[in-house]
Amino acid sequence: MRLPTLKPLGISAPFRTVPLFRTLGPGSVSSLLKIALDVAYVLLMLITGILLLAFVAAIFVPLTGPLEGQTYVEGTGDAAREVPITRTLILFGLGATSAYFGGFLLILRNLRQIFRTLTQGDPFRPENVRRLRQIGLTLTVVTVGVAVAQGLIPSIPDPGFSEMLTPIFSVLVVFVLAEVFKEGARLRHEAELTI
Amino acid sequence: MAIRVQLDRILLERRMSLTELADRVGVTLANLSILKTGKARAVRFTTLDALCRELDCQPGDLLVWEPGPQDPGVEG
Repeated sequence: MRLPTLKPLGISAPFRTVPLFRTLGPGSVSSLLKIALDVAYVLLMLITGILLLAFVAAIFVPLTGPLEGQTYVEGTGDAAREVPITRTLILFGLGATSAYFGGFLLILRNLRQIFRTLTQGDPFRPENVRRLRQIGLTLTVVTVGVAVAQGLIPSIPDPGFSEMLTPIFSVLVVFVLAEVFKEGARLRHEAELTI
Repeated sequence: MAIRVQLDRILLERRMSLTELADRVGVTLANLSILKTGKARAVRFTTLDALCRELDCQPGDLLVWEPGPQDPGVEG
């Protein structure tokens, strides 16, 4: 008995004919993840771009307008004192924030590339091991950078050990994942050479 | 590697081309070429079975061991 096909009704299944995107079915977790990655990437690009523009502007444009002559309170309790907002301070703030968001931009760029290999059906590649290691390194640099910046500015309390625990763990997780991917790439290579 | 695949010799004896064997065994020409040139790391029993059936030979006719340096990839 022949089963009725969908063709006469004019209904086709466009997603089933594209085997390349099999991990990206409509409404799947992967497709939601892809949307989240894309949105976050565009947002971070905008934020980093605006911050960099502001940084360049702060180098050339003299400090005038509402910020001129303003002060902020540094320290707490008896040690509190008023410090004028200088150009150096603004440059440091903008530069540090740009670097912070730039680090996340780099991580997101690598994540998107890893995700693209996943949609192509072959995520266990040596490039992905390199990308994961780069993510781990970037996380380390950002974590250390934030800790150093917090140490430099007296008005922000130094991060305690418990606050550093989460970043340290995430760095470890990423590096372990990179090693897992390295083993995966080796197995994949071996399977390719098994006839 | 110290294991050599004597596909060349047997194909010559049977007067069969690599393409024809690939068609009969159901292995792609590229994979059969990897096997012939000795780049393969492993052979599935199903592949060996099909090769022996189509070439009418024993696994021992296909595979030969020669003393040589050990493959560095064995330990991973």
